[in-house]
Formats: sequence, C-alpha cells, structure tokens
Amino acid sequence: MIPSRAISRILGPDGLPTFTSEAQKAVEKDLRETYSKAPKPLALQRMTHFNWLKTLLFQGLPASYKSQDASQPWMLFWIMQSFQLLGAGFDPVTKQRAIDTVMKCQHPDGGFGGGPGQEPGILPTYAAISALVCAGRPGPGGGWDDIDRNKMYNFFMSLKQPDGSFLVSKDAEVDVRAVYAVLVTATFLDMLTPELVAGTASFVASTQTYEGGFASASAPYYISNDIFLDEPRPPLGEAHGGYAGCAIAAWAMLEPFIKEEEASALNIPKFLRWLVWMQGEPREYGGFRGRSNKLVDNCYSWWCGGSLAVVESLIDTREETGDEQNVQEDNSLDEDDWEDTEWWLYDNKNLQEYILGVGQDKAGGLRDKPNKKPDVYHTFYSLCGLSTAQHRVYRSKSTAEKLRAEWKDSTAFWPSTSKVKQDDDAVVQARRREIYVQARSWREDETSHRYVGSSTNRVNATHPIFTLLISQCDAIMDHFYGQQPK
Amino acid sequence: MATETPPPPVLYADREEWRDITPLEQSDLENPLVPIFYPIEYKDAMDYFRGIVATKEHTDRVLELTEHIIRMNPAHYSVWQYRYSTLLALCSPEYLTKELDLMDELCLKFMKYYQVWSHRKLLLLLPESPSSTSGPNPLAHIIPTPSQELTYLSRVLATDAKNYHTWAYRQWVLTHYGDTHPGIWEYELIATDILIEDDVRNNSAWHHRFFICFASGAQNGVEERELAFVKSKISLSPNNLSAWNYLRGILDKLKIRYAELQTFVELYSGPRVGNRNEDEDEVEVYDLDNPRPSSNADLPCALAIEFLADIHEQEGDNEKAINVRALTSFDAFIPF
Repeated sequence: MIPSRAISRILGPDGLPTFTSEAQKAVEKDLRETYSKAPKPLALQRMTHFNWLKTLLFQGLPASYKSQDASQPWMLFWIMQSFQLLGAGFDPVTKQRAIDTVMKCQHPDGGFGGGPGQEPGILPTYAAISALVCAGRPGPGGGWDDIDRNKMYNFFMSLKQPDGSFLVSKDAEVDVRAVYAVLVTATFLDMLTPELVAGTASFVASTQTYEGGFASASAPYYISNDIFLDEPRPPLGEAHGGYAGCAIAAWAMLEPFIKEEEASALNIPKFLRWLVWMQGEPREYGGFRGRSNKLVDNCYSWWCGGSLAVVESLIDTREETGDEQNVQEDNSLDEDDWEDTEWWLYDNKNLQEYILGVGQDKAGGLRDKPNKKPDVYHTFYSLCGLSTAQHRVYRSKSTAEKLRAEWKDSTAFWPSTSKVKQDDDAVVQARRREIYVQARSWREDETSHRYVGSSTNRVNATHPIFTLLISQCDAIMDHFYGQQPK
Repeated sequence: MATETPPPPVLYADREEWRDITPLEQSDLENPLVPIFYPIEYKDAMDYFRGIVATKEHTDRVLELTEHIIRMNPAHYSVWQYRYSTLLALCSPEYLTKELDLMDELCLKFMKYYQVWSHRKLLLLLPESPSSTSGPNPLAHIIPTPSQELTYLSRVLATDAKNYHTWAYRQWVLTHYGDTHPGIWEYELIATDILIEDDVRNNSAWHHRFFICFASGAQNGVEERELAFVKSKISLSPNNLSAWNYLRGILDKLKIRYAELQTFVELYSGPRVGNRNEDEDEVEVYDLDNPRPSSNADLPCALAIEFLADIHEQEGDNEKAINVRALTSFDAFIPF
C-alpha cells in the first residue's frame, strides 16, 4: 500500500522561524499576490509564448545568453520542442535550418559539442539528437543518417567509468544526467549494447538516498584499479528532483535487462513517497520543489511530475483503461470530475494551477516562480510539466504485444568496433526487439485528460521517458530499428 | 564624486602580444537558428581561443585567455578542458599553486557551476596521476591537505548553506581521503550540529549527517545517539520533512520496525495533550526516548500521522492504516 496523493499536508511553522521558513514565507506571499492577479479562468497565454519563442528562434538570443554558449543544441531543442508542445509545427525550410544548425555541432571524433567547433560532450549530444528527432528526417541532408554512430559509440565508451557511470565529457564530472543522456541516445540510435550499459543499473540504484529521491552520483569504492565494492557506495549530494527525473527514466530504459545484470534494486515505494512530498501545498498552488524544505520551482513540474508518470508505469498492474469510460467533449475542470480520476498519483489539478496561475510571464515564456525572469529552460520543462498534468501517458501492454508480434529481425547497427559478441544473432535480435518495444509502446489514455481552465489550455502529450511527442519517438525508433509496424 | 566605470576592455585583436595568432570565428551557418548575440569582448576572446586551439598552443598566455573567458562564461567546458591540458603541459609547482589560488576564488564566485568543482577535483588528483614520474611527487606538497580542503568548503557553505555542488564535492573529499586520513571525519558531525542548530530545516545538513553516520560506512553503532538527536529536533519543530526523513532513513537502514517508535509518534499524531499553561507549571520529566512537542508546535502533525499509518501497514493492519491515513489527506490508495 502506498499513498497515491496527498492533497493538503499542511506543515505548520511550529513558531520557530529559520532561514528556510522565512524564505518560504516570502515566496508564499509572492505566490498569493501573483495568483490573485491572474485572470480567471486560468488560461495558457499560448500566443504570447509563441511569439516570445519565435523571436528567440529566428532573431536569436540576447547577450545575457552567452552563458549558454556551450549549450547551443539545448537552446534549439528546448525552443523547437516547446513549439511542438504548444501545437505548432515547422515549414520544411525552418526544419532544414534546424538540421543544419545542429549538424554544425557534430565533432569529427564523434558526438556533438555545445556549439560549432566545441569539444564533444554527452549532454549536448543528447540535446542534438533530440533536436534531430524533432526536426530531422531520414535520407541525405535529413540529419538522421548523417550521425556518425560508430564514432559516437566510441566516444561514449571513452567516457565510461568502471562503476557503470559516465563522465559528461573528457576531464569533467560524473553524474546521472550523463547516464540518462547516453541511454536516450543509444536507445534511439540502436546502440544500446550490453557493453555500453554494463554496471549502469547498479550505478543508478546506488544514487538513491535514504529520503527516497536520487542524488547526482555516488562514490565508487575501489579496491584496485577496476574493481569496486558493492558497498558502501554512498550517494554524493542529497535527493534532488532533477537527478531523480534522470535516474528513474534511466531505470525504466534499463529495466528489461536488470535481471541479467543482477542490479541492486531501487526502492520504488520509497521514491514515490518522496515525490509525493515534493509537491507543494495548496498555499503553494501545488508546484513542486526539488529537495526537501526548498522552494517550489516550475521546472520540477516536469522533473517530479514526469517522474510520477514513469513510476506509474513501473508499478501499474492494471489493464488498459482506454475504452472503459466515455470520452468527454470538454474535460475542463469541474470539481467532481477530478474525483473520478483515480489513477493520479499526485494532485495534477493543483499543479496546473501553479503552472498557469503563477508560472507564466506576461511578456511570454514560463518561469521558475514569480519575480524570476522567464528563460528557455523553464519554458520547456514547465510546458512538459503542464503536459504531464493534463494527459495520462502510459506503457500500453496491448501495443507492446502487437509490436512484439510484428517485429521483423533487422540488421543490428551495434558498432563493429564494440566488443559485442555478434555470433548469437538471436540474442542480439531479442534484446533489440525488447528495447524497441519498451520505447515504442507508450500511448496516451485518450479518456483521461483533464484541463484546468478549459480545453483550450491543452498542450500536446509528452513521452515520459524522452520528453518528445510519442509520434516523434515512434518515427525515429522505426527508422533505426528497420521496423514498419502496421 | 566621480563614479568609477571600468575602462573598456582592450580587445585581443588590438594587443601587440597576440598579433601572431589568427583569430577564428565560430564556423556558423550563414543563417543559423537561435544565434546568440555575443558581446564584443566575449566574441573577441573566443575568436582568439579558437586560434590558439588550432595551433595547439599550450603556454602561459593560454591560461590568461582561458581565465578571461571562464570569468565571462564559467560553463564553457571546452575552454576548461583546454585550460586543464595546458596546465598539464606546463606542469610545475608554480603554476599549480597559482591555479589553486584562482580556484579558491572561482569556486566561491561560481559555486553553482559544475565546471569549477570538476576542475578543482582534477587539481587535487594531479599528484595521484599514474603518469607522474616515480619518486615523491613534487606536486603532492602543494595541493591542500584534506582537512584544509574541508575548511575551505565550510567557508563556501557559509555563504550558501544549501549549495548542491559544494555538498556533493565535500562528500567526495571525505570518501576519497577518508580511509587514508581518518582524522578528517572528526569535525564533520559537529559541522552538521552547528548548521542544524542554525536552521533545523536545512536538508543539506541533514543529508550530510546521514552520509557521515550511516551511508559512508565511516561510523558504527551510532544509531541510539542519532535517534535521540533526531527526536529532539522533531520535538523542537515537528512539521519538518527533513527530520522525519532522517528518522525513517535510520530505521530503514538498520531494519528497525517503525512500531518501536509508536509511543513517540503518538505524541505528535494527535491534538496536543494537556493545556500549555498548565504544562509549564508542572515539573516535567524529560523522557529522552519520547521527548514531547515544544509548546509552539503545530499539532497534529501530518508527518506523524503518515508515520503512524505506516506503522499499521508494516504490522499488517491495512484497515487501520487506511483509517489513520484518512486523517491527513493521504486519502487515496492503490494496491502495490
């Protein structure tokens, strides 16, 4: 038995003001004032955000964004995918410019850099591939077939550590973001070999802290150059929403192989309890915080809200719910309707109130909280958060079965340079099929969407693992795994 | 009353000593999407950076140039990477000493950037690098001792007691040097005492305490002391997620049944027992195992009710668990 939602866990100040509680009090005041001024019913300022994003995409980023000079593929991915969430597509000319902009960042030695001519890094590589999923296509000049997968694979392997983790780039830090980024990229590009992720599940498990959430990394205890002890392997840093989002999505991608890896287990109920406590109270309009006793921040709408969608898929034993209920024309909020949606693990109505009521900037873009400037990062992850609070996206067992049945063995890309034993093709095919099916079987429950304000606030549904539209993920998976399901 | 405005930067393009370098512009498309409008000072420095990378120069002035860029954009990992390779090429006690001084400044100034901590760690690890020549490593005496490093980190945390990178780095220092320098653990517990005393809701300090006492393997047999500690902090302010998580962490780690805490928890899960004023007149017997809520505590406390429900659940009484949980808004359950 686990708590599924905790709507009002009012925590009083106990008459003991501290730095933390004073900061909290000040933010609650800002939230209250901002929310009271927000036009009701709450509305997504779609056109304002659209115009704000359009200016950044076509005219460019102001000088203050020089701090993002080493994150250029990120900027492109976040902006383009924000458009997709808002329901806007791109003309072929813009798509081609996006492809060409990204491909300028591919490094001759493999992987993508943070800008043209920059050194390769795992994080910009992930962002570049995601941008290519969004804008690219197969064939000459389309980006997808211009990715040097052999070199990228070798680049990933050059950053692999004995404890199963990855450096984010040469001479840089290890953390669980890199694991997530490698897994997403390798899943899309058909390079998720056993060699690439050996020990990685155990590393992810070792970053779970006593609170239930996940830390940035863990300390490997080496006894000689390459041998490390199973424990102690303490997490470095406290439980944190951003790392938690990366860790749980990584775990979900590794799940089909966890048994054969004999990875130590995650404590999912404990993680769920922690996530539920990260959601703010009604006086915080249901926004999420990233750590215990820290302030709410809109980006955790995704990192924690999205994690809850992944957790649901990991624990859910229910059958398909899709056709059980009548599809309502307008699922805009009516207090009683919300009580019917039993499957929510958190208060998704309240979260939408935070995002729409205090998370939008009047001049366009979404923000951490009132009195903070909007930026591209917060805009994208807040929109993802809104999406996950509006739609139920789940791993469909019937879709998985269908895809498994329709799977046709295809040539494995698995890099020739890797030490993978290619002799047992059946084993390779079975693994690739499972990777394909796991990534490809997510579906939106069309009966379960719920919109605060009105259905005009709808944003598109997001894949809980990949932060892309389901259709985008399906297209790239079909391409790289050589599948054409009916 | 003249206000001092800093003089405009002298561009590398206008400097005699950089005349031998051919600056290289970023090899952009003609019309890239999301271009950044670089300030001229930044663009100039980056053009010269690309210039020296192209000629593979690893000299003194590369350190000057990369420091300049890093101060404008500390997240530029390629620049850090090149700086590090330059330091390796120049490898000498003199450069390392200067670099360590610089990192004392930059880690404080840019503590929210991954790159400063990663670079600092590389410097500390330099004497351990297998490529070092045999015999005593001349760099070993230059890097700070582990306890000096911890002192520095306390200084950083004094400006931001919850900075994530600093805490993670501090924990790395302890795991890396803890076995060879066991003395460095001594001050750590006191450090968390002070921080928690200062702000009982500082979760970073609670996490660090758990790291010291339970996760790192550095201490044994401290559970009674720590249970008493956390209970006293819960009594001070019960509505504190950090403290309850710490309590649960101990019990889970040592596989102690939650039910053993029932007497304690029931002091917090219901309305206050007795009248505040009357209590003050009574001679209260302080029960160390079951400290009572402070007079200002807001009761009942949702965290205690949740805990009580979990006791029932652990003991197999699901019906009771559901009823207790209904007292908070933990009102809906799904079978796991």
